[in-house]
Amino acid sequence: MNRHLHAAIHGDTAANPIENTNRRQFLKIASMASGGLAIGFTLPGMASPASQDDNISLNAFIHLQENGDTLIYSSRCEMGQGISTALPAAIADEMEADWSRVHVEQAGGDKDKYGDQATGGSASIRTQFEPMRQAGAAAKMMLVAAAAKVWNTSVDNCYAENHFVINKLNKQKLGYGELASLAAKVPVPKDPVLKTKDQYRYIGKALDRHDVGLVTTGQRMYGVDTKLPGMRYAAIVHCPVFGGKLKSLDKTAAMQVKGVTDVIEIPRLDVPYGSVGGVAVVADNSWTAQQAVKKLVVEWEAGPNAVYNTKEYKQQLVANVEKPAKKAAERGDVEKAFAEATHKVSATYTGGHLSHAPMEPNASVVWVQDDSCEVWASTQSPDDIQKTLGGYLKRDPKDIKVNVMISGGAFGRKFKCDYVHEAAAISQQIKAPVQLIWSREEDMRTGYYHSINAQHIEASLDKDGNVTGWLHRIAFPSISSLFNPSLDRAPDNALGDIENHPFGIANLRSESGEAPAHTRIGWYRAVYAIFYGFAFGTFADELAHKAGKDTVKFLNDVYDANTNPEQADQVMRSKAVLALAAKHSGIGKKLPKGEGIGIAVHHSFQSYVAMAVHVKVDGDDIKVLNVDCAIDCGQVLNTDGATAQMEGAVVMGMSLSLYTEISFKDGAVVNSNFHDYPVLRINEMPNVRVHIVDSDAKPTGLGEPGVAPFAPALSNAIFAASGTRYRDIPIKPLSA
Amino acid sequence: MANTVVINSKEYAIDVADDMPLLWFLRDRLEFTGTKFGCGSGLCGACTVHMDGTAIRACVMPISAVAGKSITTIEGLSENGDHPLQKAWVENNVPQCGYCQAGQIMNAASLLATNTSPSDDDIDAAMQGNICRCGTYQRIKKAIKSAAFELAKEV
Repeated sequence: MNRHLHAAIHGDTAANPIENTNRRQFLKIASMASGGLAIGFTLPGMASPASQDDNISLNAFIHLQENGDTLIYSSRCEMGQGISTALPAAIADEMEADWSRVHVEQAGGDKDKYGDQATGGSASIRTQFEPMRQAGAAAKMMLVAAAAKVWNTSVDNCYAENHFVINKLNKQKLGYGELASLAAKVPVPKDPVLKTKDQYRYIGKALDRHDVGLVTTGQRMYGVDTKLPGMRYAAIVHCPVFGGKLKSLDKTAAMQVKGVTDVIEIPRLDVPYGSVGGVAVVADNSWTAQQAVKKLVVEWEAGPNAVYNTKEYKQQLVANVEKPAKKAAERGDVEKAFAEATHKVSATYTGGHLSHAPMEPNASVVWVQDDSCEVWASTQSPDDIQKTLGGYLKRDPKDIKVNVMISGGAFGRKFKCDYVHEAAAISQQIKAPVQLIWSREEDMRTGYYHSINAQHIEASLDKDGNVTGWLHRIAFPSISSLFNPSLDRAPDNALGDIENHPFGIANLRSESGEAPAHTRIGWYRAVYAIFYGFAFGTFADELAHKAGKDTVKFLNDVYDANTNPEQADQVMRSKAVLALAAKHSGIGKKLPKGEGIGIAVHHSFQSYVAMAVHVKVDGDDIKVLNVDCAIDCGQVLNTDGATAQMEGAVVMGMSLSLYTEISFKDGAVVNSNFHDYPVLRINEMPNVRVHIVDSDAKPTGLGEPGVAPFAPALSNAIFAASGTRYRDIPIKPLSA
Repeated sequence: MANTVVINSKEYAIDVADDMPLLWFLRDRLEFTGTKFGCGSGLCGACTVHMDGTAIRACVMPISAVAGKSITTIEGLSENGDHPLQKAWVENNVPQCGYCQAGQIMNAASLLATNTSPSDDDIDAAMQGNICRCGTYQRIKKAIKSAAFELAKEV
């Protein structure tokens, strides 16, 4: 029934060296309500776990079996970023568990038990590293205390090492499995003692992903893969214009398709993560449902957003930033700086909407019954599924059971659960479990898009080429518009990246230009850092050129000009990644004609990334040869995972710099599939080299920070190679 | 015309509409879910399987066109998940989300079946129909080369 566990069992054949534990045993312990030996611990700020006797397992991340097999739950959602390896490895490290005895399972949605599970904002490592280590350390102390009790000695005479507790006095050993039941009766330590860096066993090393063997044998279960007895299959077509509604529907032809049982109207659910409205067809397989959807004769009433045409809208945004706009923040006197300037430089930068386009389109299975509702979904936020479905079904959110499936990519899209709401609406009507898989076309046309945007920057330089003033206007429909549709422009806090940028600029003003939203705007990997990184990074290169300095020197100078003591750390770390990327790239060296290296630095989500991009340009042909990527994310949990995130960020950065753009015509998305929304393919993959700063600082995330510096580094590289300056991304869009 | 298809060495009756793509016969009829749906139009390669040893896109291949043929999916690529490519994928920690990887591996297996020592250009040409949004291309290239190297040692 539970295909996730089913998959785990069949994964026994996997060729994964760390997946060698007996999964049948895990099925057993995972399915026993009070079986296994749950070791609770207390998340900071949360209630104490229940007594050990009733084993309710509040905050239970760690389950031990008598044979020593260890099950660790990953509380955060896995979408490819590797969090279900990194955080469980931190638990295992502090616990002194043998990683080869550890099996990781994805935790279901349960905020009370696991804490915040909403996975986004590159926050998992930043917020969960300490609590997960505490969970592991607490378990270790309980196991040591249990062994001390067996040996009738003091805990000071015992220590834990690689799945055993060892008696210092006589070198006797007891395995974790043997100690488990006794350890579960030991009071949970209030202040577990954490390891020091030199004691780490897994943290800071290159770790294998815990589930790679399942992936390579096709056994990894994603949201699209759930199968339940009696399950029906649905496909959907959505209202093409946001805010529109169904005008007329003729379902005759669709209902005549063999295997089709139902056609269901789903009105818009006017909450941020509800359906935009659509018509679904239910059949005995996905293919039949998809074919029958095409036979629906549907007329939509487009509503007020039918005026939306991105080509004209982008021009309007440009106009809105090239004239005075609403002030968001100001320091010093920009006008005075401009009046006294030796040089003034200005430029306007633009970017289009983006669709996340994960390889797995939106998919879930939902079974609504009179007294229960169960969900199997690729999701980044089970809590939002509970809230949205609870609201829709008028039930307590806690009564919505959410099985978190690994997402086949998400990039922010699967934080929103409109597709799960739709499956719930269908299941409620047909009174059966239903799997709804969106077609690629629906996935691309019914998104929560990255904002279309325009920025205009004016800056002044003194005679030594130092920046004295900076006026930064931006216009983009913001994510806030999703929650407050009456907003006519981005709110001041969405411009915080301007005034808080670590560049040292004494006189600065930020302004927000008019930009009402005509579609749903959402978080896309790196979010606003995509356009802020592009504008700051490219404009810095333009200023350097005007100042007659090389870009690395110019950047160092502008960081050094920052005298705000609260940003001293940001300045130091930005300069360090800059130096590292510059060194490895060889920027400044003589290159063959038509080649160039560009560099950019961006600080986002509390991590620091510099990228140096080496290109070869021949007319319209832009070939990226090498990317040197330097990162400072504090202590690194999994060096291989960190490297993978940067490789991926380069690919996403290249896709959005060169190709991807969602266009709207008369309110509806023009693009439909990968032929008119082309993404980077293997033949354009550059050689990516990742350089990690050795740091003891608090660990921060890497899911997003690598994306931002790519586009400006590429633009700067193309300028260095050819003298052509690109200020609009994507550089090579398909004409839409 | 035969009304059966062999999948991973086992024969199955074709008991669905002629125009149903192989992908959905695999996924919904037989519940072999290792082969993934990505685009439905043969644009992304997530659904790649082998027909008589050659890579095809299951999402655009009508079931009627594979009658009498032998299909291999990721579940049947090797007995114990130990095809040189599967081993190389594990050694190089290729997958991120992993969703496209079955298609990547099946496509690469088809490449290596006809070209035992592919160059970078050969890999680019053969693999550019397979999209990975997580961006694992660099590792895919490395893994294909290391698998080719291992295969060469076996010969």
